Amino acid sequence: MTEIVTDQTPPVLHGPSDKEKKYDRQLRLWAASGQKALEDAHILLLNSGSGTVGVETLKNLVLPGIGKFTIADDSIVTEADLGVNFFLDEDCLGMSRSESCVRLLQELNSDVEGQHYQFGRDRPLEGLFSDATFTLILYTLPIDSNNLTLIQKYANEKKVPLLSIHSAGFYSYFQTHLPGSFPIVDTHPDSTATTDLRLLTPWPELSEFAQSVTKDIENQSAHDHGHIPYLAILLHHLARWQSEHGALPSTYKEKTAFRNFVSASTRTDNAEGGEENFEEAVAAVLKTISSPHLSGAVKEVFDYKPDEVESVSSFWIIAEAIKTFYSKHNALPLPGSVPDMKAQSTIYVQLQNIYKSKARQDVLEVLETVRVHPGGKDIPVTEVEIFCKNAAFIKLIHGKTSPASIVEIADKEFESDDIAALAMMPLSLLPIYLSLNATSHVPSASSSEIVATISKIIPSASSNPRIVKAAEEVARAKGGELHNISSLTGGMVAQEVIKIVTQQYIPIDNTCVFDGITSRTQVLRV
Amino acid sequence: MVQFTKRDQSYHKSLGSPTNALAKEARVLMVGAGGIGCELLKNLVLSGFGEIHIVDLDTIDLSNLNRQFLFRYEHIKKSKALVAKEAAHAFNPSVKLEAHHSNIIDPGFNVAWFKSFTMVFNALDNLDARRHVNKMCLAADVPLIESGTTGFNGQVQVIKKGVTACYECSPKELPKTFPVCTIRSTPSQAIHCIVWGKSYLLSEIFGTSEEESAQIDSSEDLENEKEIEKLRQESQALKKIRGAMGTQSFPQLLFDKVYQDDVNRLLSMEDMWKTRRPPQPLKFAKVMEKAAELAPVDQILKDDQRAWTLEENVAIFTDSLARLSSRMQSMKTSSKSDSAEPTITFDKDDQDTLDFVTASANLRSLVFGIDTKSRFDIKQMAGNIIPAIATTNAIVAGLCVLQSFKVLKGDFSSSKEVFLSPFAPQRLLSSDKPRTPNPDCPVCSVAQALLLVDMSRATLGDLVEDFLRLELGYGEEFAVVNHQSQTLYDVEETHNLTKKFSDLGIKGDNFLKVIDEGDENPRVDLVLNFQESSISPDDKPVRGVNFPPASNSEPPSSPIARRRKPVEQSNGHTADAPNGNGSALVTSDSGIKKRQISEIDEVEIPAKRSKVQSNGYGNSGDTIVLDDTADVAILIDDD
Repeated sequence: MTEIVTDQTPPVLHGPSDKEKKYDRQLRLWAASGQKALEDAHILLLNSGSGTVGVETLKNLVLPGIGKFTIADDSIVTEADLGVNFFLDEDCLGMSRSESCVRLLQELNSDVEGQHYQFGRDRPLEGLFSDATFTLILYTLPIDSNNLTLIQKYANEKKVPLLSIHSAGFYSYFQTHLPGSFPIVDTHPDSTATTDLRLLTPWPELSEFAQSVTKDIENQSAHDHGHIPYLAILLHHLARWQSEHGALPSTYKEKTAFRNFVSASTRTDNAEGGEENFEEAVAAVLKTISSPHLSGAVKEVFDYKPDEVESVSSFWIIAEAIKTFYSKHNALPLPGSVPDMKAQSTIYVQLQNIYKSKARQDVLEVLETVRVHPGGKDIPVTEVEIFCKNAAFIKLIHGKTSPASIVEIADKEFESDDIAALAMMPLSLLPIYLSLNATSHVPSASSSEIVATISKIIPSASSNPRIVKAAEEVARAKGGELHNISSLTGGMVAQEVIKIVTQQYIPIDNTCVFDGITSRTQVLRV
Repeated sequence: MVQFTKRDQSYHKSLGSPTNALAKEARVLMVGAGGIGCELLKNLVLSGFGEIHIVDLDTIDLSNLNRQFLFRYEHIKKSKALVAKEAAHAFNPSVKLEAHHSNIIDPGFNVAWFKSFTMVFNALDNLDARRHVNKMCLAADVPLIESGTTGFNGQVQVIKKGVTACYECSPKELPKTFPVCTIRSTPSQAIHCIVWGKSYLLSEIFGTSEEESAQIDSSEDLENEKEIEKLRQESQALKKIRGAMGTQSFPQLLFDKVYQDDVNRLLSMEDMWKTRRPPQPLKFAKVMEKAAELAPVDQILKDDQRAWTLEENVAIFTDSLARLSSRMQSMKTSSKSDSAEPTITFDKDDQDTLDFVTASANLRSLVFGIDTKSRFDIKQMAGNIIPAIATTNAIVAGLCVLQSFKVLKGDFSSSKEVFLSPFAPQRLLSSDKPRTPNPDCPVCSVAQALLLVDMSRATLGDLVEDFLRLELGYGEEFAVVNHQSQTLYDVEETHNLTKKFSDLGIKGDNFLKVIDEGDENPRVDLVLNFQESSISPDDKPVRGVNFPPASNSEPPSSPIARRRKPVEQSNGHTADAPNGNGSALVTSDSGIKKRQISEIDEVEIPAKRSKVQSNGYGNSGDTIVLDDTADVAILIDDD
C-alpha cells in the first residue's frame, strides 16, 4: 500500500479503512491482490430452472465484495420460489425474479453493484451482450438450448470462463469451461512443500557459511556443537561423504546410509543423550537431499506454445524468462525461504540472508531477460518476484482440450466400481452426472426418459442399476431444488469462481459431482 | 397434525413426507449465530424445521459482514442471536424462533433444558464452549452436530452418546504457551516479542498486573529461579513507572525502562550471551532525534501491511501510549472511588491496544535482532485471528443439515464425518463413516447419572456414606470433586462430610465427579448431575435415578463399570492418576455388570475407560492445563 503524500493534513484516521476491516478475515487468505481482482470483476448469472443455486452462489460472491454482478432471468416469482430461495420474500410474488433477487442480494453489501436483465419475448437475451463485458459467466441448468448456444458463443469469442451448475433434489454438479490455457502463479502450495534448500548444489556463499560454522567441528564446545544449524550439518557431512565415496548420495539406500552417517556424529555424552539440531538434520535427509527436478506441472508450462495473444501476457513473458534461466542453470530461481531450525539467532539470521540474497540475485537475472522482451518493459518487479518465488508450483489448466469421450470415462468409472465394491471404496458418482445431464434442457423427466436419453450415449445404461437408481432420484425431484443442497453447492461453486477470478489456488478440472445422500463429491474430467 | 404448504413442496418431494414431518415437529438448538450459524439458520428455516432456538453471547462486528449475511452495517454492536432471529423470521414466519443473547455456559441452560431438544447444532468459535455443549449433550443424551471452519477448511461430525465419537474422543490442540524466560529474557522469534507486548507490557501498564497470562507458562524451573526472582523485581519497578502515566515524561520513562535498563540488566548476565546474540538496548532520546523527520503518525498508522521502521515504531509507541493513557485517565475519573481500578486489556479490534502491542513488540524484536512484522500480521498473531469466508461456511452449514436428516430418522450409522479438502484436486469433500467412541475418552467414557437431592438438608456425608458406599458399593478410597476440580472429599479430606451441599457452593444443575481411588479393580469415573428435588423427610435426602441396588456378589460390587486397563500417560495435558502412578490399576472383566448397567434407561455406560484424565473436572486441580479464556487459538474455528 503506497500512500500519496499531499500537502493537506490527512484526515484523522487511525488504522486500516473500514473496507479493510470488513474484509480482514478473507484478506488473510487471498491478500490485497486477490481482493482487487474480485473488485474488478463483473459476474453474469444466467438464471433458469428453479433458480436458487445460482443466487446462492452469488450470495457468496457479493459478501466478499465482487465488483459487479448481473442476473439475467425470464421468470416471474411464484409461491414455490419462496420456499427454496432465501433472496425472495412475499412482496416479490408475481414480480420479475431477476429484479427481486438483485435487490435482496445487494442489501448484503453496499460496495457491490447489482444489475438485472429480465428477458422475454419483447426483450431478447442477445441485448444483454451489446454493451456489457463480463469477467465470468455462471448459468444454471436446465437451460433453453438457444440461450446456451448464445452464451457459449459469447464466452468463446471473448475468452470468458463459463461455469454451469445443476442442482436437483439431493444431487448437484458444476462444471468449469475455461477458455484456452489458464495459467496460475499463486497456487498457494502447502508451506512444507515449498522448502528448496539446494543442499546438493550449494552456491559459494552457502558453502563458505557451512564451512565456517562447522570449522573444527570435533572440538567445538557442547553449546556450539548443539547449535550448528542442521543445514550446515548436512552440507558438512555431504562434503565428507563425497570425498569418501566420490559422489553424493543419490539412491534411497545411499541416503539411508548417509542418514546413519549423520546420526553417528551426534554427541550423546550430555544430559539429553543427544542433540536436537542433529535430530533435525537426520529427519531432513530424505526430504532435502534430492536433486531438484521439474514437476510435471512446470514442464507443462515450459512445453506449452502460447498463441500470439497469449504470448504477450506477462505470465508467458515471465515464464519464458524462467525457462531461459532454467536451461542455463538447470535449476529454477531460488524461493529464498529457510525453515525454522535450532540455531543461534545471529547464525540463523545470517543463514536467512544468504538465501535471501541468492533469491534476489536470481530475480534480477530473470528480470533482465523479461526486460529484453518487447512486452516486458512494464511488467512490475513484484510480479517477477512472486513468479520466481512460486516458480516450482506454477500450474496450467488447459480448458476444454480433448478430454476423453464420455463413453471412455464411463467404461473406466464402471470398471473401477466393480473393484470398489469389493474394496469397500466409494462408488463413482458418474451416474448422477449422467442423470442430471440428461435433463439439461427439460424441466423434469421420468426415470425411463432419463435412462433412454443416457442410453443414446451409453448403450448399456438401462442394465446398470446405479444409473437407473440415480435416474429415479432425479425424476423424483421433478426439477425441484432443495435449498440446503443448492446452498452447499453454491458455496463450492463460489469457491471455484474466486479461484478463477483471483487466479489464486488451483481450480477443479473440470466437473464436480455432489451426492447429498452420502455427502460425497467426485471431480471428473468430462 | 403437520400441515404442508406449497413452500414445502421441494422438500416434500425429495425428503419424503415422514422426514419432512419429523423436521416440522423437531425442536432444535443452534449454539452460535456467527459464520456457520447464519448459514445454518437460513438452511434450517428453508428446510422446514419447526422450532429453532438460537444462543449467542456475541455482538456484531464490522469484520463479520464479509460472511455473516443476516447482519448489516446498521446492526453493528447489536446481539447476533436477536438480529439473526429477526432476519430469519422475515423469511419464514411460520417457523418458531427463540433467541437468547447469553453464554451457553450459563447454568440456566441445564441438562433438563438440553434434553428438551431433538438435536443440537454447534456453530461455535471456541474450544471451551464446544467442550461444554459436548458435555451437556452427552449428559442429556441429545444428538449433537458439531462443525467448524478455518479459512477454506472445515469439518462436520455427528455426536451421539455411546454410538459415535464425542468431541473429546480425540485430543484437541491446546493453545501454545511459552516459558516465562523465553518471553521475558531470551526471545528468539517475533511471536515471543508479541506475547511480551500483549501479555506482559500492556497488562503491567494498563491491566491488573498480578493477573497470570494464559500464554506465559510461569511454572518455575529450579535452574531459573534466580532469573525469575529478578524478573519479579523488574515488574515491581515497572509498576512504579505506572504512577507517571499522563505526565509528559511517561513515554520516555517507560521506553528507557524496558528497552534500555532491563536490557542492560540482561546484558550484565554475561553467561546468557556467550552463545546468543546479545541484545542491543535502545535509548529514547537517541531514537527520537531521527523521529522528527517522520511522516505524520496518522499516515504511518494507515500503512497496515508494511513492517514499520525503528523510528516509526517509536512514534507509534508514543502515540498509542498517549491514547491509552488518556483513556485510562478518563476511565479513572469516571469510575467510583470504591470500585475496582479500571483496566484496559488487549483486544485485536481495539485499535489503541493493537497499535501499542505492534510497536512495543517490534521494538523488542529490534533489540533482540528479530525480524519485525506489519500490524496486519501482528493482529493475526496476537489476536489468534482465524481466516473466514462465506463459501466455506455455506458448504459446512449445508453438510450439517444433511447430517440432521439422518439424525431425525435416528439413522446414526449412515451419518458421515465430513472434512473439506479444498486443495485435493480429485475431490472437494472427503467423507467418512462416523468414528466409534474412544473407550479412553475422558468425557464420554465416564458413567453418568442423575441425582435427586434435597438441597435443604443433604450433606456431603449423605452422598458419600449413604449413596456411594451403601448403595453403589464404593470402598474406602475414592474422591469427590466439584465442577471446579476442587476435591470435596477423599480419605484425607473428611472435614466437609457434615456440611450441606449448599454450604459447599453446590447448586442444582452442578456436576460432581466421583473418582475411584481403590487399588483393586477401580470403577470408571462417575459424573453426577444434581437435580434439586423435595424428598420426603422420611427418605434419604440423596437419591439416584434408576440405579439398581448393589449386588452382594463378587467384591467390590457396584453398578458402575470398571476401568479398562492401565494406559501410560500419553501427553502433558492429562493429570496424574489419583493413586499416584497408575501402576495399581488392574485390568478387569466385568462384562456382566456392564450389561446390567446398560439396561438402565437413565444411566448409560457406553464404554469402559482406562485412566483418570482431567477434563474440566479433574482430580488434582494443580496440574491441569485448561484454557479458560475465550481468546485461544483453535484449529478449526469461525466466529
